[in-house]
Amino acid sequence: MQTVRRRKLEIIVEAPVLSRVEAILKSEGVRGWSVFAGVEGHGATGDWHSEGLSGAEEKRLIFALTSNDAADRVLEKLVAFFEDYPGVVCVSDVDVMRPDRF
Amino acid sequence: MPEALSLAANNLLTPAVLFFALGLFAGLLRSDLAVPDAAAKTLALYLMLAIGFKGGVEASRAGLTADFFNAGATGVILSFIIPVVAFYALRSVARLDRTTAAATAAHYGSVSVVTFAAGTEYLRALGVPFGGYMVAVVALMETPAILTALLLAGGDAAGKQGLRGNLLREVLLNGSVVLLVGSFVIGAVTGERGMAKLDLFVNPLFQGVLALFLLDMGLVAARRLREAKTMTVPLVLFALSMPLVSCAMSIALSALLGVKPADAAVLAILAASASYIAVPAAMRIALPKADPGVYLTLSLGITFPFNLLIGIPLYQAVVATVLG
Repeated sequence: MQTVRRRKLEIIVEAPVLSRVEAILKSEGVRGWSVFAGVEGHGATGDWHSEGLSGAEEKRLIFALTSNDAADRVLEKLVAFFEDYPGVVCVSDVDVMRPDRF
Repeated sequence: MPEALSLAANNLLTPAVLFFALGLFAGLLRSDLAVPDAAAKTLALYLMLAIGFKGGVEASRAGLTADFFNAGATGVILSFIIPVVAFYALRSVARLDRTTAAATAAHYGSVSVVTFAAGTEYLRALGVPFGGYMVAVVALMETPAILTALLLAGGDAAGKQGLRGNLLREVLLNGSVVLLVGSFVIGAVTGERGMAKLDLFVNPLFQGVLALFLLDMGLVAARRLREAKTMTVPLVLFALSMPLVSCAMSIALSALLGVKPADAAVLAILAASASYIAVPAAMRIALPKADPGVYLTLSLGITFPFNLLIGIPLYQAVVATVLG
């Protein structure tokens, strides 16, 4: 089976600013990603829970596979984004099938 | 006074308020009782739809009179100025940082639709003839406080990278505001004919849905209180006294601008309420450095229960005494 090296971005952000991160992905040429809803967790500011009322503290996990160059450009923009907003990003090398999709 | 106490006791013994108390009690005791997220969101959508639609139908009966414009103008002015008072109280008494004080002030200048629902149910039970257009006043009072808070926060607002560009659009088109206003317009346009079709959905079911929603609110409020790490005595005192100050400001302005007493009672309840649906999300976008542990705990964990259990009958009694 033929696989090719690509980069995986996993980005956790608060739901109200999700669209801003998606705009960064789009503008830097990431061709596809999926978004998952967080349930609850614990971090620098203590516990958080998904609450139906405002959604203000709800978390979203963005899962994206992309090229090295696009991943670098996204990370550069995320540095500025995280100056204002809370969140977590991690990057890893992955082997993917059908590389033309990423 | 004994009559006022009896009314307050009756308010405490309605199913909706008791379900809130049950949620609060269960949450504080760490029961595993929970309302699923998707269900809570659906209940909130239902409440917005029912409140907006019924208000629209009532407005279509009475028409948009000068009373509406008086109440609307009073509500908008209150929503602009209450955050200023709240901000300086939080800065000087509670020694809160500028950004968190501004974000918290926005919550107190904006309004709580669920407090409005509980308050108007209470006023209806007393036969207070407020206008159906007060739903539109709720929508008018949602956003001005956010603008005041951004001015108060000054350079602390997010946006160094131009990320704030769409904030105003997002605030004005917040889902709950869109549904409330949209349902009001649909109710006003379809009037009695529309009510005949939706009556079963928006009237007999309302109290049951409100009870279930308040059960969830109780659970969420309890969790907020349990996990509150940054609460201080001045902050708790602020959350208990700011509604009284806002109520007093509302009554004074209502008298000045000639708001009819029944509408002034609703305005006092709205002014005393604090937002926890539309404003928190806006503050996470505009003032992300502000501590949500402070503003959500104060508005949802302290002020909302205070208003539901004590405030609503108190504000009504004060308005009835002062304005007649």
